[in-house]
Amino acid sequence: MRRGETAEEIDDAAFAWVARLDRLDLTSDLQAELEQWLAVDTRRQGAFLRAQAIWQSLDRASRIDAQPEINDVTGRVSPGPERELRRPARRAWIGGGGALIAACAAGLVWQANEGGAISTARGEVRHVPLPDGSTMLLNTQSRVRVAMRPHERRLKMSSGEAWFQVQRDPARPFIVEVGSVRVRAVGTAFSVRQRDLGVEILVTEGVVEAWLVGREANRIRLSAGQKAMVAETSPIKQLDTAPSELDRRLAWRSGRIDLAGETLAEAVEEFNRYNARQIYVAQPELNSRKLYGIFRVDDPDGFSRAIHYSLNAQISTSNSLIIIGG
Amino acid sequence: MVDLGSGEGAGQVDADRARRVAWVASRIMPHEPGVRRWLARSRLPHDQIDDLVQEAYCRFAAMASLDHITQPQAYFFQIIRSLIVDKMRQARVVRIETVTEIEALPVITDEPSSERIVAARRELAEVMLLISQLPDRCRSVFQLRKIEGLSQKEIAAKLGVTETIVENDVAKGMRIISRALREGPDRNLALAVKKDDEKRRDRRRD
Repeated sequence: MRRGETAEEIDDAAFAWVARLDRLDLTSDLQAELEQWLAVDTRRQGAFLRAQAIWQSLDRASRIDAQPEINDVTGRVSPGPERELRRPARRAWIGGGGALIAACAAGLVWQANEGGAISTARGEVRHVPLPDGSTMLLNTQSRVRVAMRPHERRLKMSSGEAWFQVQRDPARPFIVEVGSVRVRAVGTAFSVRQRDLGVEILVTEGVVEAWLVGREANRIRLSAGQKAMVAETSPIKQLDTAPSELDRRLAWRSGRIDLAGETLAEAVEEFNRYNARQIYVAQPELNSRKLYGIFRVDDPDGFSRAIHYSLNAQISTSNSLIIIGG
Repeated sequence: MVDLGSGEGAGQVDADRARRVAWVASRIMPHEPGVRRWLARSRLPHDQIDDLVQEAYCRFAAMASLDHITQPQAYFFQIIRSLIVDKMRQARVVRIETVTEIEALPVITDEPSSERIVAARRELAEVMLLISQLPDRCRSVFQLRKIEGLSQKEIAAKLGVTETIVENDVAKGMRIISRALREGPDRNLALAVKKDDEKRRDRRRD
């Protein structure tokens, strides 16, 4: 777009014109001068129209409430109540999407204290208050067996991802078990995710220890803001992360996927964790494109539309599949 | 001698122009704060929002006829939406949630609810209330011009100032009201006034 004058400068000039035209009679000279000013930049024509509209709407200031004329309904069937309700619902995620979590929590207070397994379906995020006062937030397609024992709190994750807010109790260590990986916390908050390459741990508060069974001596200590990947087959990787990065990685807690430079392939993998409607990238060269944006986990269509616009890729959809490119 | 708005003896062109201004004032302007809020939620920077809104008004200025627009609010959003899509196609780095947001807003098929129309009108009414809060002489000028219906010349005589000063006050009042409209009527008008003073200090002309 043409730069130079800012929108605001153009607006100001337009107001000067309207003020001037309100004072003076419109001579042909003045008219010519105005036409000339308007012709320089089409943006000026918009600004001038807006300035005139503001000036005119001030005439209406004293009687605006009495005007019945603003009625855009054109005789079509008016929207049903659910239509009106949907709008705020669609927006809710922007504010943090806590409603999703609250809705899940309302339906479930978990009470068993020995051997109870809790699992989530695809796309489900479940908030599980534990008997010791801790909280578990279970992400999509996850399964955790909880055992509250007198000297130990043990949670065995067989699949998926969970975030834990641990009630402090030094006499009862809180241990998450994923395969041969152990993560131990006293009073802290952290997440554990089972991935193809190993177990990913993110610490949001306090300190946790992690180790592999049989290699207890090689345990690592992770403090808030750190993450690690622990796997049988490779050395433990321990990394510092920015707070914003942690928030992003845990955006699922409020029903969101937060992308900041992830590739299309990574983003698609994320969406496919949550939705029966799978996304497939038919043009492999698109896979490495980096993406930025925040999406609802359950809105693969919105995501693919964004891809359509931002990568200029064709999208074709069916009930079970969204195909990007090709 | 023809007033740009009245169309007296000036034929169809001025009459059309006046009708267009009236239509924009009553059908489009009330939705401008909503459009701006929507754009701000999409994390667009302020200057880009200003540009987009201005370009949308350009489209309204350039259209041969506005008669086909039966749903002005939806149409306003639609114009902005297509401007953004155009820009995104040109831009190399794109925040794609902007598109998601735009897509999420079902404006095209939406019938405006009566509540929203009322809200939009109230919003405009609030902006108009700002007249009463304009700085001293500026407020008198606006009240005399818009409520009592005096001409700028009569106002100048009544207040004992030059016509140029009255004209400048008219322009100044509009700048302040526009700025308040831009930032939402709940914003502090005093801030808009202060900003205006600061901006004009450098590029003053008399």
